[in-house]
Amino acid sequence: MDEYSVGVLTNIGLFSFLALSAYLLLIAGEMSFGQQAFFGVGAYTGGVLTAIYGVPLPLAALAAMASGALVAVLVGLPTLRLRGLYFAMATLAAAEMARILFELLHFQRRIGGELVGPDGTQGFRGIRWVFERGVEPLEYLAIVYGLLFIILVAFVRIERSHLGVTLRSIGADPELAASLGVNVNRLKLGVAAAAGALAALGGVLFAHHNTYIEPRNFDIMLGVHSLAYALIGGLGTAFGPLLGVLVDLGLLEGTRVFQGYRMIVFGGLVAVLLVFRPRGLLDERVVHWIHARAFKRA
Amino acid sequence: MKVLLLGLLGLAALPAAAQGTRAELDCTPTRTEHVYDCVIRLARGGAPLAGVELSIGADMPSMPMAHNLKPVKAKPGKKPGDYEARLDLEMAGEWAVKLRLSGPVRDQLILHYEFDDKGARPAVRRSGTPPRK
Repeated sequence: MDEYSVGVLTNIGLFSFLALSAYLLLIAGEMSFGQQAFFGVGAYTGGVLTAIYGVPLPLAALAAMASGALVAVLVGLPTLRLRGLYFAMATLAAAEMARILFELLHFQRRIGGELVGPDGTQGFRGIRWVFERGVEPLEYLAIVYGLLFIILVAFVRIERSHLGVTLRSIGADPELAASLGVNVNRLKLGVAAAAGALAALGGVLFAHHNTYIEPRNFDIMLGVHSLAYALIGGLGTAFGPLLGVLVDLGLLEGTRVFQGYRMIVFGGLVAVLLVFRPRGLLDERVVHWIHARAFKRA
Repeated sequence: MKVLLLGLLGLAALPAAAQGTRAELDCTPTRTEHVYDCVIRLARGGAPLAGVELSIGADMPSMPMAHNLKPVKAKPGKKPGDYEARLDLEMAGEWAVKLRLSGPVRDQLILHYEFDDKGARPAVRRSGTPPRK
């Protein structure tokens, strides 16, 4: 496989974490435009830990996930009281605040004669833990997809469990779920924390793949795309967001012949897709139909 | 899952490589819009760095997935440490140029350059200073 294909596949894997993060909130009934903030928190936390303090990546990834979850809880406490569009706007505002904080973050240390660490708008260079250990792009791709596989297995198990049914019930009708004894606020806060941790894991892997990050990597474009992944792919199963990333990046790569105009072409194709499939390609009906066919054969 | 976890933990035991490659770009626009002929000058420890395999990719920092350049291989230039490549960008503006070195020296560098109809120059951010190479 050539370098370019490995890079595209790695990006598809990395952004799948973000897509699953947005999906988790969507099935709980909340549309967040701010998951890129937790992706950024993970990237910066993991980058600082490995590049400045020499913490091994697996430990840095765990710390990044914890910080992503913590920040998500801090954002969720005031914003989860809001509903619908107001929640979406609040998450967008929180994400922009986070991006501006990244722009103000200066924390550099001299490592091996080089200044390393976040340097505001100049970005954060030298996140070379993976690169310096000779991990080849193909090996890194395997690590990304290995972790993604574990996350997907967890999603499938949760969706088939009582917790999964409860999550969909609060997404469909929170008042009805509350009347049945579900602590909606606590559950939504837990979902926000899990989604934050998931996005942060994607962020730390993204930072170590690129070796460089900057605040602009985590702007609203990424937030819009992360929601688009989940909405295009479908809300019927956790495989939907992955399909969304594949379609999104696949369309972007496939429309390369349009050069500078391809974002317009891409946007048009996404709009058409959502007109005909408002809950995405793998929506609940399609998933139900696939399950019914599979069980019929069995 | 155990294999993956052991693999991840095993990464921690690998030694780190040294760093210190410097690079700069000198690009001139061609007759085709947004296509540039570039000379990449590599140095290490103050001396020109010749004999490496160099591939060049590029992303727009605010749209890393939407606007990117398929990596191209550079060929050795006229002087030691010089490499030449043609970059076919989608639009003018700031690009994060990713240099990937392999062969005798393995390294990865990111340079931020502003591309326009006059060529390319190091990007200047809001703080007023160009980013370090």
